Amino acid sequence: MPRAKSKRRQQAGHLLMVPVDWLEERSGLVGGLKYFLFRKVPRDSNWFHTLGSATLTAFIVQTVTGVVLAFYYKPSPDEAYASIQFITNDLTLGWLVRGMHRWGASVFIILLFLHMGRVFLFGAYKYPRELNWLLGVGLLVLAMLEGFTGYLLPWDQTAYWATVVGINLNATAPFLGPFLSDFLRGGQEIGTETLSRFYSMHMLLIPGGLIGLIVLHLYLVIRLGVTSPPWSDEAAGRERAEVVTAKRGLVEPRPRGDGSVPSPSEGTLTGEGPR
Amino acid sequence: MVELLPEGEKVVSNEQERAYFKRYKEDVRERGKPFFPYAMFHDTVMSLVVVCVIVALTCVWYFTSGEEAGDAGILGPRYADEADPGTTSFVPRPDWYFYFLFYLLRIFKWPDSVILGTVGIPTIALILLLVLPFIDRRRERRILRRPVAVVAALLVIASMGILTYKGATAKESLAGENVELVDEWAQVQGLSEEGIEGATLFAQIGCLNCHTYLGAGTPNLGAPDLSEIGASGQTAEEFSAYVANPAEFGNNVMPSYESQGEEVLRLLGIFLEESKGEGGG
Amino acid sequence: MADELERPGETPEHEDAEAHLPSPTIWPFGFAGAVALILLGLIISFWATAFGIALAVVFGFLWIRQVTREVRGEPEPLEAPAPGAAEEPVEEPEEAEGYTRSKFLEGATLGLGAAIGAIVTVPVLGFAVAPAFVDQGYPDVDIGPLENYPEEEWQIVTFTSNADKGAVSRRTAFVRNNGLKDQVPSFTIISNRCVHLGCPTQPQGPPGELRDIETSQTPVTLSATTPSGFGCPCHGGAYDIEGNRVAGPPVRALDRYEFSIIDGSLWLGSPYSVSEVEGEGADAVIVKYRPADPGVHVDGPEQVFYPIVP
Repeated sequence: MPRAKSKRRQQAGHLLMVPVDWLEERSGLVGGLKYFLFRKVPRDSNWFHTLGSATLTAFIVQTVTGVVLAFYYKPSPDEAYASIQFITNDLTLGWLVRGMHRWGASVFIILLFLHMGRVFLFGAYKYPRELNWLLGVGLLVLAMLEGFTGYLLPWDQTAYWATVVGINLNATAPFLGPFLSDFLRGGQEIGTETLSRFYSMHMLLIPGGLIGLIVLHLYLVIRLGVTSPPWSDEAAGRERAEVVTAKRGLVEPRPRGDGSVPSPSEGTLTGEGPR
Repeated sequence: MVELLPEGEKVVSNEQERAYFKRYKEDVRERGKPFFPYAMFHDTVMSLVVVCVIVALTCVWYFTSGEEAGDAGILGPRYADEADPGTTSFVPRPDWYFYFLFYLLRIFKWPDSVILGTVGIPTIALILLLVLPFIDRRRERRILRRPVAVVAALLVIASMGILTYKGATAKESLAGENVELVDEWAQVQGLSEEGIEGATLFAQIGCLNCHTYLGAGTPNLGAPDLSEIGASGQTAEEFSAYVANPAEFGNNVMPSYESQGEEVLRLLGIFLEESKGEGGG
Repeated sequence: MADELERPGETPEHEDAEAHLPSPTIWPFGFAGAVALILLGLIISFWATAFGIALAVVFGFLWIRQVTREVRGEPEPLEAPAPGAAEEPVEEPEEAEGYTRSKFLEGATLGLGAAIGAIVTVPVLGFAVAPAFVDQGYPDVDIGPLENYPEEEWQIVTFTSNADKGAVSRRTAFVRNNGLKDQVPSFTIISNRCVHLGCPTQPQGPPGELRDIETSQTPVTLSATTPSGFGCPCHGGAYDIEGNRVAGPPVRALDRYEFSIIDGSLWLGSPYSVSEVEGEGADAVIVKYRPADPGVHVDGPEQVFYPIVP
């Protein structure tokens, strides 16, 4: 009885919706998520636009692996190196988690630069998205600081001496430099205090800032939308409203005919290019 | 008081800009595609690639390296030796994405300019990045019509690339790094036992601070290349005597190495005599 | 009763139309506090428990009295006036422009918020920043009996500069015994930290055998060397035998250590910074400054950038 079956399925569907409706009624979160998912983006957005979300993915990988690494890592000069060796060589899958954190950091930075390059080439930092560019630069700086503070944690020779140089770089800044370097070291010399404060900054302070900025960054992306590629013939916001026949692929749906726009099959490319 | 803005006009953006954004919003609303699943499909594929790359890098890094400290695979060792604040042989290098800064510091070779490399240029670069949207206020977004921006971008990419490459390959003619070259020298030159000992001393006592040898050393001080010095026919004893007191042979630029002791000088002489160049071995 | 059960939809006649609510009371709070005190007393002191039991009895009695008042037929105390009535006297009359109630509340909220911020931020910031600037000083270090330092010979000495801190404080110095100068022993003791950005400089000479020697503090590692100068592996700084810069970016000469001789042993004192050294060995004239971070100019026009060094 196909009919009865579909009815049962309908009922099951309703039952499934109960917690969703409950949540929506009390928080409005479901509506927000729906808006986020089904909001319109320019039809010519393409693979270049995936760099931002790829960066976010790399950041999430860093967060997850970092939290787990903190279970086993010991931020003290006497134990740090041994705990890193233990994580890498003895713990089940420790090498994978530590390796993902280590290489994820590099991938994260590369993607940040690529994403930034994309935004630059597309001119996507222009009105009204200037503020989001500033947030992005802030994210880049914080990410570099994450790299700098995280590099010390294995407490091996490379880590130690790179940090010596990094801290002394700050010391050469005029006026405030010597104070800044004392603050970073937690004293006159690199020691126990340095490692624990780098750990705290790497674990709590900077990631907190990163997460806050990422939320703002995403909020502005959703609010302002993403720019079309500048070479696109049908770039959103271009000066004319002609409709263009374009090839349709898996990820380029037909526009929803709501009457206000001529069907694309009727449209033709005319006039000057986009501006 | 001059009124800069019309009454009630406090927003910096001009009418054209706002009109553009209004058109953009309309275009997207009318003809855009829903983010899910159309754009998100791309995003998800890309994210999968990212995660796979991270895991792949990890696997290559782990499975080609060994448990020993410094036992490097294709992607470097799992860890270096434990930090030793008292070392005199370690050669510090930063993580790769700081190589450009590292090499920038090497470029500023004068005490008076140190501050440029350490805080000056990085600060200027950061400020330029921050004010970019306020400098470039034209609405033009097509790449070929933004020649200044594109040239600037290419210059930045090129200079970052070069700095990073130079940083990655930077070498110092110091004992710690030069000694590692001795094996190669022994092969090329066909050195004897004592010649290898002499080569090790040659690498350690600072000869390469001024001279070059088979591509190693400091070329910018004008001291002669010693890769084929042995081909000149001088004997080991003559070389020893020369190194002990160059002034005696009319060389007032090179300092005396007599303080190194006779044994060191003898081995150095043997090494120099055996250095006949790649063809001479 | 049975009837009522059969007609669940109807309200039983004897109940009021409105739900019955007990009048407001504070006694349960006292009772709860007393119970908490009893539990706390079990951990800390019998007397606290006894006192808690007494309180619980008193508050419990008062509570029960209050709850049963209605049943016992006592009159309810007069309730507070209805909310609307209560606020009437407080309500703002049309006040003269200037200082209104909302302005006061605005100011008060901002002020209180600032006070909370200050109470939290000042100690936290102070705690994060201040300890870094407390002068921790440099303890003297015994680097072994004088016999280990033959005249006119360089030794690379690796020592623990602060025994309490352990391996983190390992440092290296290049030490040369200059013999006697005017009947006073003279030593050249140069720190191996590059004054460009703090990398470990290397002596330009063949390293000798490593020897561990016992001292009155932690053991020290020595190796003899015959350097022609010192070089930095990071950014190409080069120094001569007295630590003067000869090439590269270092902003001053290598730092040095004070020294003293106690019971036939050489002791290192505080480090200090040097702008330049004239002369050699025992005759050297050293232009001395208090210790500064690497990269910080101690002389020349650039020192205006670093007016105060912590």
